[in-house]
Amino acid sequence: MTDFVFNSRYCSMLLAALFFGASLGLASPSFAQSVGLPAPRLLTTTPMGAKVGSQVEVTISGEHIEDADELTFSDRRITATRKLNATGQPEPNKYVVTVAADCPVGIHEARVMTRLGISSSRAFSVGTLDEAVQTKANTTLATAMELKVNSICNATMTQRAVDHYVFEATKGQRVIVDCATRGIDSKLDAVVIIADAVGRDLLVERRGGVLDFTVPTDGKYVIKVHELTFKGGQPYYYRLAVSELPVGAPIVRLPSTKPVNSFSWPPQGLKEQAELAETEPNNDRTRAQKISLPCDIGGSFFPAADVDVFEFEAKKGDVWWVEVASERFGLPTDPSILVQHVARAGDTEKLTDVAEFSDIPSPVKVSSNGYAYDGPPYNAGTADILGKLEIKEDGLHRLQISDLFGGTRNDPKNVYRLVIRKAAPDFAVVAWAMHMELRNGDRNAVSKPLALRGGATMALEVVAIRRDGFDGDIDLAMEGLPEGVTASGLKIPAGQSRGLMLVTANQNAPRAVGSGTLFGRAIIDGAAVNRPCRLASFAWPIPDSWGEIPSPRLMADVPVSVSGLEFAPITVSPPKEVQTVIAGEKLTIPLLHTRRSEFSGAVLQLRAMGSGFDRTPQFDVSLTADQSQAVLDTAALKVAPGDYLIAFYGGAVAKYRHQPEAVTAAEENHKKVMQELMAIEAEVKKLTEAAKAAATEAKPEADKAVEAATAKQKAAAAAVTAAADRLKAATAAAAPRDIVDIVVSEPIAIRVNPAEKK
Amino acid sequence: MVQNGVELWRPSTLIVDSSGSEMFFSINDARLRIPSRSRFFAVFVALLIISVPQPDYAAERPVSFVNEVMPVLTKAGCNVGVCHAKAGNGQNGFQLSLLGFEPLEDFEHLVKEGRGRRLFAGAPERSVLLLKASGQVPHGGGVRLEPSSEGFALLREWIRQGTPYDRDGDPKLVSFEVEPARGTVKRGAEQQLTARAKYSDGSVRDVTGKALYESNDKAMAEVSERGLVKISDIVGNAAVMVRYQGKVSVYSASVPLGAPVENLPSSKSFVDEQVFANLKALGIPPSAVCDDATFLRRVTLDIGGRLPTEEEAAAFLASKDEAKRDKVIDELLRSPDYADFFANKWTALLKNRRDDASDTVSNFAFHAWVRDSFLANKPYDQFVRELLAATGTVIGNPPVAWYKRVKEPKQQIEDVAQLFLGVRMQCAQCHHHPFERWSQDDYYSLTAFFSQVGRKPSGTRGEDLIFHKRGIAVAENMKTGVPLKPGALGDAIPEIAADEDPRLKLADWMGSKNNPFFAKSLVNRYWKHFFVRGLIEPEDDIRDTNPPTNPALLEALEKHFIASGFDLKELVRVITQSRAYQLSEEPNEHNVVDRQNYSRYYPRRLQAEVLLDAIDRLAGTQTDFANLPPGTRAVALPDNSYNRSSQFLRVFGRPEAESVCECERVQSSSLAQSLHLLNAPELKAKLATPTGRAERLAKEDKPAEAKVRELYLAAFSREPRPQELKTAIDYLNEPGTAANANYQDLIWALINTKEFLFNH
Repeated sequence: MTDFVFNSRYCSMLLAALFFGASLGLASPSFAQSVGLPAPRLLTTTPMGAKVGSQVEVTISGEHIEDADELTFSDRRITATRKLNATGQPEPNKYVVTVAADCPVGIHEARVMTRLGISSSRAFSVGTLDEAVQTKANTTLATAMELKVNSICNATMTQRAVDHYVFEATKGQRVIVDCATRGIDSKLDAVVIIADAVGRDLLVERRGGVLDFTVPTDGKYVIKVHELTFKGGQPYYYRLAVSELPVGAPIVRLPSTKPVNSFSWPPQGLKEQAELAETEPNNDRTRAQKISLPCDIGGSFFPAADVDVFEFEAKKGDVWWVEVASERFGLPTDPSILVQHVARAGDTEKLTDVAEFSDIPSPVKVSSNGYAYDGPPYNAGTADILGKLEIKEDGLHRLQISDLFGGTRNDPKNVYRLVIRKAAPDFAVVAWAMHMELRNGDRNAVSKPLALRGGATMALEVVAIRRDGFDGDIDLAMEGLPEGVTASGLKIPAGQSRGLMLVTANQNAPRAVGSGTLFGRAIIDGAAVNRPCRLASFAWPIPDSWGEIPSPRLMADVPVSVSGLEFAPITVSPPKEVQTVIAGEKLTIPLLHTRRSEFSGAVLQLRAMGSGFDRTPQFDVSLTADQSQAVLDTAALKVAPGDYLIAFYGGAVAKYRHQPEAVTAAEENHKKVMQELMAIEAEVKKLTEAAKAAATEAKPEADKAVEAATAKQKAAAAAVTAAADRLKAATAAAAPRDIVDIVVSEPIAIRVNPAEKK
Repeated sequence: MVQNGVELWRPSTLIVDSSGSEMFFSINDARLRIPSRSRFFAVFVALLIISVPQPDYAAERPVSFVNEVMPVLTKAGCNVGVCHAKAGNGQNGFQLSLLGFEPLEDFEHLVKEGRGRRLFAGAPERSVLLLKASGQVPHGGGVRLEPSSEGFALLREWIRQGTPYDRDGDPKLVSFEVEPARGTVKRGAEQQLTARAKYSDGSVRDVTGKALYESNDKAMAEVSERGLVKISDIVGNAAVMVRYQGKVSVYSASVPLGAPVENLPSSKSFVDEQVFANLKALGIPPSAVCDDATFLRRVTLDIGGRLPTEEEAAAFLASKDEAKRDKVIDELLRSPDYADFFANKWTALLKNRRDDASDTVSNFAFHAWVRDSFLANKPYDQFVRELLAATGTVIGNPPVAWYKRVKEPKQQIEDVAQLFLGVRMQCAQCHHHPFERWSQDDYYSLTAFFSQVGRKPSGTRGEDLIFHKRGIAVAENMKTGVPLKPGALGDAIPEIAADEDPRLKLADWMGSKNNPFFAKSLVNRYWKHFFVRGLIEPEDDIRDTNPPTNPALLEALEKHFIASGFDLKELVRVITQSRAYQLSEEPNEHNVVDRQNYSRYYPRRLQAEVLLDAIDRLAGTQTDFANLPPGTRAVALPDNSYNRSSQFLRVFGRPEAESVCECERVQSSSLAQSLHLLNAPELKAKLATPTGRAERLAKEDKPAEAKVRELYLAAFSREPRPQELKTAIDYLNEPGTAANANYQDLIWALINTKEFLFNH
């Protein structure tokens, strides 16, 4: 049996390897290519937060941020300046961050502006506790770091180790230990343990919860923190808070970012607090809680296997909409609702199922996180509930709500909000950077910031959750773009859930950053409504989807930038004017290629995106030609007359050169320091000869001059070596390398006119 | 099967069976046992029998297929799993139901299949059935029925009568008993059992010769095919299972030693009362209570899975506190070592197995959940409830990982039954349990509890979200096709609504105070953990036919465990605080033969992980486990994957977490183990490591005596005896060898002692 398992696994791996090889072969002749053109990514800030009304020194790290200048935050009440060294020069990657006293407590986005544009975001926490920073290894009891109660420590987990902290507390004190990890973009699945003074474990929390510790005796206590599987390194950082709380007071968790699916909550106009609270015991029919519709109830899936039963009267033909939020609060719940009609005859009841509600499915296929890309790794769906309740008979109805994950769990924090309302048609939208299959297993390109190269078009996938039967068109728009950047929404057509937003920087767009705003717009019941669209992204690039399951989140804002220094490898431009075609006929669209790079491979395979034309068969355009054409067959596509906005996209392997201008600068610098060295060498030679010839009384002075010149010579030689190294590094970085990325054409407006009736 | 049978008259009626020292006369169902030395008497009886007119089957009554033919086939072994009851198509196309549980099907197979060629009423003895069974034509199963045997004659008569099947009104077997049901038997003595079958018409038949016998401890008691039990010289309680036509009965023999039992240690609790009462009844004087050093080492190994440190040993030996043993038990139960060690035990049984790198997170999470549960002393019923009814994601709710490992409802109930109830249900999937009362309906009724386990993709490869899928729980009996509602081993379960998770109802039933299996199974398992031998063996095969060696003790433990609220630490406490647990392993003049009454401690080799940790502790080293923090103990390893890189763990039998049976852990000794301890490079490296104890002792500036004392305290938790001290110092002082080499040798020698390798 063991052998069989082993062999079958071996076979699977072999097949996977073969498949991998075959896929690579199809995608590109090169095995060495990487995925996604360099994008600036801010990966860590140390510390990861600051106390409100304080100033703190922050060190950053990331990808392609070597030349970062400004550090910015989503809330303007957090500001940063470069840290200067003793000579007044900015220290690389160091900033002085000031958090204003009126800055809201919570998570804010931190980003840096780089040569390539605005970086991806890193969560930056603002809190009220005193901040501490782990400054040296604390992986043993003996080296445990002292932590004061009511403070928070910013730390990075060491691989294969357990971090130790020690705090002092008195008997009866209630100490809360909370550890922020995934909620502040860390990869850490934290295990937090409170132990006695000699390190013997007393309380353990491994599921991201808090430790609520009542101190048994006066003394020192140890907190141990480690990653569930003892991983460590820079991405595994955390903020460990130790605070005192009065007995009975509710625990307030450290702030956390929001999951992607929370974009669809709350419905428009919903009050902050529910109007009604569930009243236990309401666990069975004999103790059902009486309600009337519409209603808005707050409840809790507590205790274990809790069922909350409500009863209401309804009339045949009534239509209600039922919505529940719980998982969207970031809770590990799976609400389920059953509505039954109750017909009573004496003591007996006849129950008839009217409706059963469970998940809100994702409107688009979600990635299975397999090796091949099969959908966006963002789940806009949720385990929460949104459904239509049609009353089929007059009379008493019973609704019961339970948590399908709550059979054995006893946690009153697993709350829900149940809303039953008359139809209020609406929608909520969320967007993320569009991805496509570029290379198996590599999801690197999905965590791109909106940092545009000149001449590039970036596509955002926009997905809608429709509420209460709304099925009209949803137009997409974007505002607040920097100069030279335009946005074109490829609408979410009626009855569908997916649209696209194309953000294009023209070739001459100047280097800039703007705070963009995304919208979905629709006409509902004759009125125009405008709904903000949240942007989702990943905390980390994912080059190996087998080794890491992505954990995307919603962003607080939508900054858009243009590099001004780097350009898209190719721009595919259709004519600016509207292309017209008669329904049933073919439309030929000329495409202009602006190439700024060499490419690996001769053709670019293009597909169409945009309602009406997205089933256009894939077609090839030459990567060596300056122009090509697309032929769209409106008959085959059965396109109805009307106005359309589309674009073409495909994957191309560019021979990318990173910062070639740095090579020139490095060469010039190298040349300059070489000249300086030569000059000083000549000087040394001259002074040495002079010293040899100097009279006895002048000798000490001459020797001193030689010594000083020799020191200068050494420094100049070191400068030459450093300049040579920089030149070498710049040359290596600028050497062409194959990088596959998505190419999106500029948008094309098409008008399909009706065919003339014969 | 009749041995040495001699036909005196009509072969179907009178058989003389002289096997060994006994002789039987059998006439139909009547049997007479005659000692072989009474040959004259035997001949007389034979003549007497011959002179009595014998009954004629045809004239008296038709042969019953169910009550007579089937028992013959079963006794002859025709319908065992390796012969014609083999799953699939039987043997060479001829299929019988296992042990005759399905007589009607067997009748169809015998009479109608093969175009009826198996039976030939015209010349019954020429029937293929009889020709094959008697070996007159080649038969793969060999000779199962001698032509002269009673069974052969009966089958022949049934064929002659035209192979009738029982009529509706024919008597049905209603009960079956063995006599005596229990008794006290001296060592080396014999006991003849009599098996009686009672039928619906009130008749009782002696079926001693047709019943099947099996001893639950062959070293203690052997039983012949005709029910003669021979007791060996081992004292204690033995049981013989007797089966007949799907009914089971048991004979329990108490084999006393009969020695005077005086000066019993004072009883600490009901545990001692019951153990000592049993010893008194059996006349087995217990060994003395062990010394402090032995106790400390034993209890630290058994609760914490580690050796006591030198400091702990020295402090314990020096302490004059009368309650120090109880205190050290409490201290150990408070320590995370307890949680680590018992998590190690349970995660293997719960199949926390790594087959792929992607299992890592779930295995760590699951192991941690088990470990934290023990650390927090979660009540056992709650622990099992959280496992059985787990929902959600692995990270959010780690017991969900069990559903990743054990995917099918059948496997789920088989594991649950064996692990938590001590009931082996596997047989009942395909047929009625041969030793038990469990039918296929019982099996599938239990499966129904797991029929509403819903799965959704989790986004993580190979992992599902587990939830309760709304619906009425049913499972179909694979044989009858009848859908069955949840049922718990014969206990009625109230109607389970579509919205209720049936697994919670199963957990309710398991944790109810009256559950006959749940607490019993656990206390027996834990008793075995501390006493090496379970009160019921194997510990996960609890059935009426496998009685405990000390039923009163088992019952008392069960009650105590339930009354404590399924408190595992309290169970460990009450067991380890007992004098019975603290008895010396050194036998006295009487109890060396005792292997099951706990009159002394039964030594046991340290488990693989514990031994590796012990060697590391003594050698002053650490074993490096991939991606775990340096210093991680082997008993704290989360799953089996570390066995691959550790030859030591493999050689000493660390389980691969493939089975719910504790027997997967190999505790037997082997040559490979000896060689490993003698000269494995891994061991040599530990001894010679520059940061190890040998190197430190060699460099340390203190008297050799103190160093030897340190080593003995570290290895054995005791001071060296004068002779040991002298031998060690003499060796250390031998000229010509480097000091560190001498210390390495000394540690090597200590490791290779039985005192080190065993918990004793």
